[in-house]
Amino acid sequence: MSFMQIQDLRVHYPIRGGFFNTIQDHVLAVDGISMEFEEGKTYGLVGESGCGKSTTGKSIIGLEKITSGKIIYEGKDVTNARRQRNSAYNRDIQMIFQDAHSSLNPRKRVSEILAEPLRNFMKLTPDEERRRINELLAIVGMPEDVKLKYPHEFSGGQKQRIGIARAIATNPKLIIADEPVSALDLSVQAQVLNFMKDIQKELGLTYLFISHDLGVVKHMCDEINIMYKGRFVETGTKQDIYSNPEHIYTKRLLSAIPNIEPATRDERKIERQRVEANYQVENKKYFDENGRVFDLRPISDTHQVAMTASEQGGN
Amino acid sequence: MAEKQTVDVEKKTPAASPPTGIQVIAREFAKDKLAMTSLLFLIVLITVIYVWSFLIDQEQLMRISLRDQMAAPGEKYWLGADKGGRDILGQLIIGARNSITIAISVTLITGIIGIAIGLITGYFGGWIDNIFMRIIDFFITIPSLMIIIVFISIVPKYTVVTFVLIMSVFLWVGTARLVRSKALSESRRDYINASKTMGTSDGVIIFKEMMPNLSSILIVEMTLNFAGNVGLETGLSYLGFGLPPSTPSLGTLVAYANDPFILENAWWNWLPASLLILLLMLAINYVGQAIRRSADARQRLG
Repeated sequence: MSFMQIQDLRVHYPIRGGFFNTIQDHVLAVDGISMEFEEGKTYGLVGESGCGKSTTGKSIIGLEKITSGKIIYEGKDVTNARRQRNSAYNRDIQMIFQDAHSSLNPRKRVSEILAEPLRNFMKLTPDEERRRINELLAIVGMPEDVKLKYPHEFSGGQKQRIGIARAIATNPKLIIADEPVSALDLSVQAQVLNFMKDIQKELGLTYLFISHDLGVVKHMCDEINIMYKGRFVETGTKQDIYSNPEHIYTKRLLSAIPNIEPATRDERKIERQRVEANYQVENKKYFDENGRVFDLRPISDTHQVAMTASEQGGN
Repeated sequence: MAEKQTVDVEKKTPAASPPTGIQVIAREFAKDKLAMTSLLFLIVLITVIYVWSFLIDQEQLMRISLRDQMAAPGEKYWLGADKGGRDILGQLIIGARNSITIAISVTLITGIIGIAIGLITGYFGGWIDNIFMRIIDFFITIPSLMIIIVFISIVPKYTVVTFVLIMSVFLWVGTARLVRSKALSESRRDYINASKTMGTSDGVIIFKEMMPNLSSILIVEMTLNFAGNVGLETGLSYLGFGLPPSTPSLGTLVAYANDPFILENAWWNWLPASLLILLLMLAINYVGQAIRRSADARQRLG
């Protein structure tokens, strides 16, 4: 049973212009998406740059204003309450940032960084607080003497682990991971990702995993949402998306995964060209005349695709 | 992973912090001998002026004694006397003290107001920013010197305190604008967002998270403001709009040079004050420049 639902979330930014600086148009950064979160699962949010992935994450956690739509957390509508800093919602939803370096205050020691959420959300005695910080460092596999260090003294992977330790400090239910590894090199990526999987099992976390790296998403996620121009084009389980992509955009995205197999190079090139040609031909079927993605339509229990065929509109 | 949780390492580890504003500034001064000399000179001068001024009775000092009119420097008056027979040295000390006191108070008041308003407008942006920026634009467009002179003419009984307040009304805007522009970019950084998601309130984020990261430019701004503010009182007194005539002032002493007779025959009336102002301003400016260089990694010497 899902503990949190997002219904028809929209984030629109006004474009101002003209003589009186009036609102001319809107950027539809996020345009009507719905999701459900179940405990212990990982949800992938995939798409190209600028498709609204990060905006979705930020609006869920309350860093962006929502234009319309609802966020329901444990049966309660928290759409407006989420911007109150001390709410339970804010405690239970945490975020891992893309750039670990800039997400840690350069003037604070690790112990102060980790104490920040604890002081805000949990009433701990100084002794309990110190024990909890030691515990967090143990979870992310760092020695206790890092407590007195400053963020610039760590490598990228270590910084990201401090970011993760901070995110799990208050025992959250959902962690929004906004491209948590895209700033790290490949060897460290694997390390951080496996480690995120481990603590997920240990603590029963739910992840909303935002990424543009399809390989990483395949490794991490149970359910995947493909996003394009602020809307979902296809959602489904990992098997649905990777073995049975229905939407032309998903196909195009999957065909773009790099593969270092020299033997099949020409075949893959022909395949990619076929997908691209198909994309141009079938454009009308999947996007309306303004290039907008159609509403999602279920094609199996878990698999939904945005296609024109149905007028009733899925979801 | 978690074998030894109880080991307390807090005492053992030497804290290797990133070079903070203060450390960088210290290194810069160590490299720049002129700035170091200026700093020492300033510290000594200011201490001497403040201690000495306590020993001087201002009423006694400003009493006119016609027998000592234009007395040359000598046994009784080390730096001679003016045309009212008043000790120049005493006036110099009290005048310098007033100038420095005014400079420090104006710098502190405008600094606190400017930094607070700059940080708040930069952090929140939107309509708060808009309102304050329009107010600041208004303050910048009005001719402040004229208004200060008018103020001084109409306020019946003005003292150092009223003078400081009048000056402060006009001088906080520059600091506020500078701090706002820095706060704007700083507040879009991820660590501010992270603090927001971790439930820290806006006030704490502004003053405990953001302000320490802007400390270097705040220090620079305050020092350079101080250098400018030392000349404030002197300039207005020279024009005749400074502190009341019963208060000794460097500006009044320099203004004696307007009289060709004194300029030619009684150098001790105007020269010491002019030299003191010159040295004071130069020293503060060298210190300010060293601090400004230390805030910008490309200009640093140390």
